[in-house]
Amino acid sequence: MSEVTMVHGEDEFDLPTVVEVFSTDFWKAFAPETILICGLLLIFIIPNLGNSKFRIPLTKVRVPWFLGGKRFKVTGSPAIPGILATGTLFTALGMMAIEAIDGNMDTTAVMSNGIVILQMDNFSRFFEILFLAAVLLASMASLDRIPAHTFEGKKSLEEMYDNRRQADFYILMLTTAIGMCIVALAQDLFVLFVGLELASLATYVLVGFHKESKAGAESGVKYFIVGSVASGVGLYGLSLLYLEFGSLQLHTIAANWADSTILGTIALGLVLVGFGFKVSAAPFHFAAPDAYAGANSPVAGVLATASKAMGMIGLIRVLLVIALPEAGADESAIWLYTLATLSVITMTWGNVAALGSTNPKRMLAYSSVAHAGYMLAALTAVGAWKWGEVEAPGDYAEAIVAAVLFHLFVLVAFKLGAFLVLGLLEMEGGASRLSALSGLARRDPLIGTAMFIFMLALAGVPPLAGFMSKFLVIAGIVSTSVGELWMNGTVSFSEIHWVWWLALAMFINSAISVFYYLRIGVVMFLDVPEEGRRKPLPYGASIRMAIWICLVATILLGLSGDTLIDMCYRAADSLNLA
Amino acid sequence: MSGSEIIDYAVLIPLLPFLAFPVILFLGRLFNGTPTWVKNVKEGGIIALVVMGASLILALSVIREYMNKVGAADVFTWFEASWWNSGNGEITTKVFGFGVYIDHLTVMLLFVAAFLCFLINIFSIGYMNTDPINDNRNHRFYAEFVLFCSGMLGMVLADSFLWLFIFWELMGLCSYLLIGFYYERPSAAYAAKKAFLTTRVGDVFLVIGLVILWNLFGGTLDYDVLFKPDNIANVDSGELQLALGMIFIGAVGKSAQFPLHVWLPDAMEGPTPVSALIHAATMVNAGLYIVARMFPFFSAADMGALSTLAIIIAIIGGITAVMAALIAFVQMDLKKVLAYSTMSQLAYIFTGLGSALWLANNGYDELAAFAMGASLFHLFNHAMAKGMLFMASGSVIHEMHHAHHEVAHHGHGDDHHDDHHDDHFDAQSMENMGGLASRMPITATAMFVGSMSIIGIPLIGGFWSKEGIIASAWKVALKEPIFLLPAMLILIGAGMTGFYMSRMWFMTFAGKPKTEVAEHVHEQTPWIPIPLVVLTFMTLAAIIFAGMHAGHWLGDFESGHYTSFVDGIGYEMEHVFLNHDPFLMVLTYVAIGLSLVLGPSFAMALYGGGLDKGQKAKPWMQWAIDLSAKINSKSNFDNSAWANSSLANSLHKRLHFDDIYDAAMMKIVVGFANLSAIFDSRFIDGVIKTIESTSQQASRRLRALTTGSARDYIMMTAIGTLAIFMLLWGVA
Repeated sequence: MSEVTMVHGEDEFDLPTVVEVFSTDFWKAFAPETILICGLLLIFIIPNLGNSKFRIPLTKVRVPWFLGGKRFKVTGSPAIPGILATGTLFTALGMMAIEAIDGNMDTTAVMSNGIVILQMDNFSRFFEILFLAAVLLASMASLDRIPAHTFEGKKSLEEMYDNRRQADFYILMLTTAIGMCIVALAQDLFVLFVGLELASLATYVLVGFHKESKAGAESGVKYFIVGSVASGVGLYGLSLLYLEFGSLQLHTIAANWADSTILGTIALGLVLVGFGFKVSAAPFHFAAPDAYAGANSPVAGVLATASKAMGMIGLIRVLLVIALPEAGADESAIWLYTLATLSVITMTWGNVAALGSTNPKRMLAYSSVAHAGYMLAALTAVGAWKWGEVEAPGDYAEAIVAAVLFHLFVLVAFKLGAFLVLGLLEMEGGASRLSALSGLARRDPLIGTAMFIFMLALAGVPPLAGFMSKFLVIAGIVSTSVGELWMNGTVSFSEIHWVWWLALAMFINSAISVFYYLRIGVVMFLDVPEEGRRKPLPYGASIRMAIWICLVATILLGLSGDTLIDMCYRAADSLNLA
Repeated sequence: MSGSEIIDYAVLIPLLPFLAFPVILFLGRLFNGTPTWVKNVKEGGIIALVVMGASLILALSVIREYMNKVGAADVFTWFEASWWNSGNGEITTKVFGFGVYIDHLTVMLLFVAAFLCFLINIFSIGYMNTDPINDNRNHRFYAEFVLFCSGMLGMVLADSFLWLFIFWELMGLCSYLLIGFYYERPSAAYAAKKAFLTTRVGDVFLVIGLVILWNLFGGTLDYDVLFKPDNIANVDSGELQLALGMIFIGAVGKSAQFPLHVWLPDAMEGPTPVSALIHAATMVNAGLYIVARMFPFFSAADMGALSTLAIIIAIIGGITAVMAALIAFVQMDLKKVLAYSTMSQLAYIFTGLGSALWLANNGYDELAAFAMGASLFHLFNHAMAKGMLFMASGSVIHEMHHAHHEVAHHGHGDDHHDDHHDDHFDAQSMENMGGLASRMPITATAMFVGSMSIIGIPLIGGFWSKEGIIASAWKVALKEPIFLLPAMLILIGAGMTGFYMSRMWFMTFAGKPKTEVAEHVHEQTPWIPIPLVVLTFMTLAAIIFAGMHAGHWLGDFESGHYTSFVDGIGYEMEHVFLNHDPFLMVLTYVAIGLSLVLGPSFAMALYGGGLDKGQKAKPWMQWAIDLSAKINSKSNFDNSAWANSSLANSLHKRLHFDDIYDAAMMKIVVGFANLSAIFDSRFIDGVIKTIESTSQQASRRLRALTTGSARDYIMMTAIGTLAIFMLLWGVA
C-alpha cells in the first residue's frame, strides 16, 4: 500500500485501496475482466480441438495432442464460438452487475512502478456494465444471424458455417469488449489510448467482416483510414500533453492544469479531435454513416452505443477531470465555446441529414450523431458552471454527468434494439432501404410494435426511457444555467448563463427528429410490404430474445429508472468533480 | 368499519359492463350468424343480460348497505397511481385515482340506472332480435348498449368531477353510436350527428366550468375536497357561480333543455330500446344528476350569493316545460310525443332543483331538503314511467310492423323480410292506430298507468313528486317574486301534460281502428311484456316510495317520527291533500283540477271514442274509453280553426328552432369553415410545405458532403481540427 495523491486532495473522499499488478487482490478485484480474457482464450482453443497426435521424435510413439487434425464433432460445431462468447459475456456482466447494483463499489487502484494504471470505481464499473451489455446483446443476436446470412448465393452454406470464421467474429467481439473495459478503467492517458485502439481495431475488422459484400469491405477500410487519422491526431495531442506535464497520469495532469501553457490548450484541441471521432461529433462523423450501413446490424448497434460511450469516457476524463477549472475559480473552462459550437453543429447536422435519409441504418447513424450532440451540450454545461457562487457546485455537475451516463445506458436499450430489428430484417436479405420496413407491423405485429417503441424512445416520448434521459439532460442544463438564482425570487433573463441556449437548441432538434423517427412508424404501419417480403419474418430465437430484452428495458427504465439513476449518480460521484 | 363491505366491490358495477363491451363485440365478430349465437345467446343479448343482472344485484346490495347506515357519504377508493415516482427525477408526482362516492343522490340514480338498464335489456331481446333488419348486427347493439350502461353507472358512482366528465363523454359517444344504429338511413345518421354536436356545445361549457372549479379548489375535482363546507366558504362566490353556471349549460345540453333541446326528438331515429335508454334510464338524467350534485355548493356558499343561478335554472326549466308541452300537442308520431313529454318532465325536475338550490342558498334548509327530495323523486317516477311508456310504444310499433306485413303481403307468398322498410307505411304514426286497447291489453295497461303517472293523476306515481315540485316552486315564489314566472309556467304545464298524454293514449288505444293494419295487431312477442308488467307495479307502488321518501331520503329531514312507511304514507297523504297551509292546499287542488280534469277532458272531447263492436278492453281501461266516447259525442268541437292557425303550423315546425339553428349554422359556421379552409390550404399548408422542402433540401446538401470517399472525410477532419484550434486560440 502506498500513498496516492488525489485529484483535488480533499480528505472527504475514500482513498482507494492500492494493489500491485498480478497480486492476489488484483485478481480478486478484476475477476470479471479475467473471465473475459479466459473466454477469449477458450474461443481460440476449443474450436480447434481435434484428433491430431504428436509423434515423439525418433520413436513411433504418438501422443494425443488434440490441437489440430480432424476436429471433434461437438467442439467443432459452428455454434460453439458464439455460445462461448455469449456465456463469457453473460458471466462477466452478471458478476459486475450484482456488485454494482448492490451499492457502493470499493475503489481499487492498480499501481506499477509508482504509476496508477487502472482504477476500479463506480464510474468505471458503470461503463464496463454498459459495454458488456451492448456486446452481449449483439453477440446474442449474431448467434442466429451469421450462419443464416445469405450473400446472394456466392458462398455455400458450409462455408458460411465455417467454424473458423465464426470464431473470428466472436474473438473480435470479445476483444472489443476487453478494449472498452480498459478504456473505462484507465487512469493513465496512455493506457486509455491503448484500450481505445484495441477496441477500435477490432471494430474496424468487424465492420468489414463480410468481405464477400463489397459495401462491407469498403466501409471497413474507410472506417479504418479515417479512424487512424483521428487516432493519429489524438495521439499527437497526447504526446504534447506529455511534453507539457511530463506525465500522462490523469491526476498529475489535473493537478497541474491550472499552470499549463498554450501547449496544453493545443494538446487539448488535438485530443478533442481523437475522441470526437469516436463519439462521431461533426465534422468527424463522416465515416460513421458509411460504416453503420456497411456493417451488419448488431455490429453497427455496438458502434452506435458502446463505441460512442467509449469516446464519451475519453471526453469526460479529458474535459471534466483534467481541464475543468479548480473549484472556487470564478471562470469558465477554456474549451467551453469550442464544445458548445461543436455540440450545436453536431446535433443540427445529425438531425437535418437524417431528415431525408432513406436508408434506415444511415438514418440511425445520423440520429446517433445527433445524440452525440446532445451529450456534448450536457458536458458543456458542466464547464459553464460559475463555481464561486454556489454552496454545493458538485451537485449540479454530478446531476448533468449522471444524466449523460443515463442517456448512454438507455441508448443501449433502444438504439441497439432498433439495430437488432434491422438485423432480423437482414436475415431475409438487406435492410438498407426504408421500404424493407414497409408493412412490418402487419407481417410481424410484435416486432413492428417493438420497432415503433424504439423509435418513440429515440424521439423522447414519455413514459419511455428516451424521454427520461432527454428530460434529465435538458433539466440539468437549465438548472445549471439558472443555478441558485431562482432562490432570490424572479430570475431575469439577462442573468441566465448562455448555456441555456444549448437546452433550447436541443429542444428544437428533438422536435425536428420526431419527423424521421415517426416516418419509420408510418412505413411500418401503413405501407404495403414490398415484393419478396410477404412471408413472415425469419424466426431467430436468440435475436428475438435480445430484442425483447431491449424492449423491456426501454419501457421499464422509463417507468422506474430509480436503480439505474442511483447507479449513474454514484458513478458521477466517484469522478470527484467538485 | 373494517372487513370487507359491499362497497369494496361497487367498482364492479360499471366495470362489468365495460368489460363486456369488447367481449360481445369480438364474440359477435367471431360467431356472427352461427345458430348457437343467434338462438341461444341472442346475438350477445344474453351476455349483456347476465352482466346487467350482476350489476343490478351489486347495485341493490350497495344501496341496501348504504340505507342501513344512513349518514355521511360513503367513499371507497379503488386505485391510486402516480406517474414517475423517482427520488431523483424532478417531476412532482400527480396522484390519480378512481373510487366510488355514495350518498343519497348516488343511491337514487344508481337504482334507476341499474334497474332500468336491466329491464330495457330484457325488452331489447324481444324487440331487436325479432326484427329481421337487425339480423347479424345485434352484437353491435348489445356491445354499445352495455358500454352506454357502463358510462351511466360509472358517472353516478364516480368520486370526482373528472371521472364524472369522463363517463359523461363515454355516454355521449355511445349515444352517437346508438342513435345512428341504422346508419344506412340518412335521417338516422343525421340525428346521430345532431345529438352529438348539440350536446357538444354544452360539453364545451362543462369543461370550462370544471376547469374554473379545478382552479378554484386548488387543483382537484374530488368530491371529498370540493364538498367540504370550509373549502366552499373560502372560494370567491362570483367565480363559483360562473363555474357552476358553465356546468349547468353542459347539463342543459345533456338533458335537452331550452335552447339546446333540438337533438332529442330526432334521437327517436334510434331503435326503440335506445330511446327508452336515453330518455328514461341514462343520458337525460345525467344532466339532472350534475345539477343535483351542486347542492353542497349552494348550501355552504354565502347566503344568497348563488341565487341568480338557481333562478336561471328554474326559469329555463319553466320555459322548457311549457314549450315542449305545446309542441307535443300536435305531434302525430307516437315516439315524438313521448320525446317532448320527456323534455317537459325533465324541465319540471330542473325547476324543482332550481327551487331546492335557491332555498338551500338562502338558508331554508328544511324546505330545500324537501324540494330536493321531490325533484329526485320525480326523476325516479319519470324514469320508471317513461321507461315503461317507451317500451310500450316500442311494443305497439313492433306489432304494427308485424301486422303491416301480415296485411300487405298476405297471399302474395313472398318473403316479407326483404323490402321491409322500403314501403311508405309509418308504423309510428298515431294516425294509423286506434282501438288497440282490446288488442294489446298488457301494452295498453302499461301505457295507461304510465300516462297517468306522467300527468299526475292523484295517488299514482308522478303525482306525489309533481305536487312537491309545484309546491316548492310556489314556496320560493312567495319569497322571491321572479320565481313567479317558473312557478306559473309549471302550473300551466301540468294542465298541458294532462292534455297531450291523454291525447296520445286515446288516439292510440281508444276509438275505431284508423287503418286496416291496426285491426290485425295482437301481442305476440315474448320478452317484451315482462318489463312492462314489472314497471307497471313500480309505478303504482310509488306511494310506498313516497312514504319512504318523507322519512329517509335526505339525511337532514330528521323529524324522526316516520319509523314505518305506513306512517310515511299517512304523512304524505295528509301533507298533500289536507295541508295546514291553506295557500298550498288551494294550489294542490288547482293543480289536480288542471291535470286531472281540464287536460284529459279536452283530449277526450277531441280524440276520444268507443271501440269497435264486440271489442272489449280490460275493465280498468274500459271506463275511460266509455267516458271518452260519451264526452266526444256530446261535445262538438270544431278544432279546424285551431289546426290551421299559424301557431299550430309553427308547432308542427317545432317552433322553428331547427330552422333558426340551421340558418345560423349555414351563415356563421359554414362561412367560418370556408375561411378556415382557405387559411389552411394557403397559409398553413404553405408554411408546412416550405419547411418540408427546405429541410429536405438542407438534408440533401448535408448528405452530399458524405461523398463516400475517405479522402474527403480526412479533409473534413482536418478542417474541423483547424476550426477547433481557431476557437481555442480565440478563447486563450
